Amino acid sequence: MNPQTLLEGLIAGSMIGLGAIGVTLTYSILRFANFAHGDFLAWGAYLALAISGTLGSLAGGLAAPIGPFSFGWSLPIAAVLAAALTAGLALLVDALLFGPLRRRRSAVIILVMASFGAALTLRSLLELVFTSKPFYYTQELQIAMKLGSGMRATPDQLLCLGVAAVLVVLVHLLLTRSAIGREMRAVSENPALAGVVGVDVRRVVRTVWALGAALACMAGVIAGLLVQIRPQMGLDLLLPLFAASILGGIGSVPGAMLAGLIVGVAEAATVALVGAEWRAACAFVILVAILLLRPQGLFGRPD
Amino acid sequence: MTPVLATEALVAGYEPDLAIVRGVDLAVRSGELLLLLGPNGAGKSTLVKAIAGLVPVHEGTVRLAGVEITAAPAHEKVRHGLAFVPQTENVFATLSIEDNLRLAAQVLAKPRRAGRIAALYAMFPDLAARPASRAGALSGGQRQMLAVARALVVEPSVLILDEPSVGLAPKIVGEVFERLRAINRAGVTTVLVEQNVRAALAIADRAAILVEGRIAHLGPAATLAGDPIVAELYLGARRATAQ
Amino acid sequence: MLDLFGYGAFFLTMALTYAIICLGLNVQWGHTGLFNVGVAGFVAVGAYASALLTTPDAPGRLGGFGLPIAVGWLGAALAAGLATFLVGALTVRLRADYLAIATFGVAVMVQLCVLNLEGLTGGPFGIGFIPRPFAATASDPTLFASLNLALLVAVVALLYLALERLLRSPWGRVLRAIREDEAAARALGKNADRFRLQAFAIGGAIMGLAGAAQAHFIGFIAPENYQPMLTFQVWAMLIAGGAGNNRGAILGAIVVWALWAFSAPAIAALFPPDQQARAAALRIVLIGLGLCAILLLRPRGILAEERTISRHLPPAELKTEKPSHET
Repeated sequence: MNPQTLLEGLIAGSMIGLGAIGVTLTYSILRFANFAHGDFLAWGAYLALAISGTLGSLAGGLAAPIGPFSFGWSLPIAAVLAAALTAGLALLVDALLFGPLRRRRSAVIILVMASFGAALTLRSLLELVFTSKPFYYTQELQIAMKLGSGMRATPDQLLCLGVAAVLVVLVHLLLTRSAIGREMRAVSENPALAGVVGVDVRRVVRTVWALGAALACMAGVIAGLLVQIRPQMGLDLLLPLFAASILGGIGSVPGAMLAGLIVGVAEAATVALVGAEWRAACAFVILVAILLLRPQGLFGRPD
Repeated sequence: MTPVLATEALVAGYEPDLAIVRGVDLAVRSGELLLLLGPNGAGKSTLVKAIAGLVPVHEGTVRLAGVEITAAPAHEKVRHGLAFVPQTENVFATLSIEDNLRLAAQVLAKPRRAGRIAALYAMFPDLAARPASRAGALSGGQRQMLAVARALVVEPSVLILDEPSVGLAPKIVGEVFERLRAINRAGVTTVLVEQNVRAALAIADRAAILVEGRIAHLGPAATLAGDPIVAELYLGARRATAQ
Repeated sequence: MLDLFGYGAFFLTMALTYAIICLGLNVQWGHTGLFNVGVAGFVAVGAYASALLTTPDAPGRLGGFGLPIAVGWLGAALAAGLATFLVGALTVRLRADYLAIATFGVAVMVQLCVLNLEGLTGGPFGIGFIPRPFAATASDPTLFASLNLALLVAVVALLYLALERLLRSPWGRVLRAIREDEAAARALGKNADRFRLQAFAIGGAIMGLAGAAQAHFIGFIAPENYQPMLTFQVWAMLIAGGAGNNRGAILGAIVVWALWAFSAPAIAALFPPDQQARAAALRIVLIGLGLCAILLLRPRGILAEERTISRHLPPAELKTEKPSHET
């Protein structure tokens, strides 16, 4: 594999990893596979699009590209606001759908089924409002910079790589050093004991939803910036997201990012060797291999 | 004198149509060590879990220092001063000793936290030795100590333990009971569920015997120690027919 | 009047093909507790198998066998059954949500293969000229529609009877025991997995048959017919009708298909002609909300089965108490 393929794989992988962190957190603490996570990602991208566009039209200066990047200040500001809104969306879906099902002691599969329903609803709402026409944050074209060893990357791509790295570190620190992170780890291990120790489990659940959705939003903005924004973008990423979070070990934040990078690089290699139309097969093969060989993933606890 | 912990006509069980605790009136006096005994299936564990908020209460009330906490979620009961040590999985194995304690201290006001944790390290020097090690790596006895230490962080009005001696080597059991006695003598009201009758009676003030979800006997621990009623209720020997 | 009949027959025939899929899913989910989120993939396998066996020659694509329709349908069931068996051999032991993800992935893979292996499947162009049953009567629309409807009714009826028989047989009783009592399942050990695998494969074969029926009824298939949307519709049908219950599967299919079909013109009317993609999206939003509503309000469906699926499936709620083994 040549260095350029590797670099492209890492860039795509950082995006998958960021989304996978959200999946792994909600999976380990809420204990079900949320099929709607991809659509939180898509909603995040679209919300950022709407806000960024509005900001840009209100104050033209905000749309002017910053430095070597293709976007203006409107995008980062929009991304932060969109993250808050996506968190709100996740909390709403939990309040209306998952929460009541959980309190009724529904089986895990019912929750998964409901998440499937929520996924389709959210996706189609996007299609209803925006149609399936692809959108972009900016019309600016970017020239790839030479990085040596035959590698090239645009400033946008390098920035996204950096943002993903920073976010992973921040989330890891949050989880390991902060009080709420401790509570999250406790609830992930044993929710009953957590309650007995004084942890407000419901509050932790809400925090996890918000954090997971905010991360999904960031991943969505990155995906929208580097590729494009379409209603199907979440669905397309769902299998890689699941594969990465299971490969990394459910509950492990560094594992999710590492696994995301692995999936990204593997996909890039697949595209280079077999053809772009088979990219999606890569995540599936990884998923099946992991489930059969080592279901707890790289850093997970054996069940 | 308001009892530290009181239940009135408590009915509880996992399933709504199956009551395991079938009407228990209990009043725990301040500073005492109350022992809950009973054969398997009697409902001792279910009773304390119901008090702690882990098992649904069907009827009746639970009061802590007169305040009703029957339906409060588990974490709120902690804020009221109730500390519960479950029988199994009573520490967070994936968290460090330090994190286990800090987690418990979260309930307290910020200025108090560091002081309480330091006090517990002083009380349990074994834990202070390697605070960063994962709780899962501790031995059975050390884990039990951590569980108790964790419960004491909040300076509870009542400490409830569910069979702390289970799975421990006999020598360790002795140490655990000594600890519990010392903690109780230092002023912590304690409710202890135990199967290890003899050793537990030695440190208890009063003992209650639960049979089929109700209290069949309640009295001073000392008089119970030699009482054949204990054997009868445990082994089901009939009093009328001499064996 | 005859036109209405023709439309009604067409509608009911389509609904019945969905009923077949539902019956297959019911074997997997309702009777065995296996959560298959890749239904569309297995339907596609059946549809393409039958199409390949029965269509005339086409340039650049494998085919030209021109076999009779019955052979096509049989081949579809076998192919789908085999594919499901292979998938099941790998995945039936996984826990419920991993099985869901894995089967979801299978459907994505099937779609990918069908889209890319042009030499085999005609790629994005699909396969056309699939022979219709009773094609000789096509000049008389009413007769044609009635015969097709009669065929589907017969197939569904036979399938229903066969499944009811199967489920009351010793094999079926073991299956029920496995589903209801996890301890019994564990005692059976590997054998429990064997039963689950058989049920999984049977369900898959039935789905393949449905795929073939749909393919031959419409005459044309393409990769975009087998998206997650199809899986979702079938699940909505089964949940609405009452999972675990063969009558419920059939009823659910007809009711949900009716809602789906009859809502189309109503919703399409809300949008100008050039925005029909939006109308389609709105329909999906409504069915999505509908499924969520059913799960919240009446998860047992219309014809609720008395028995619960299994009280031993772990509840999703964060467990705040443990089942007591001691006092």
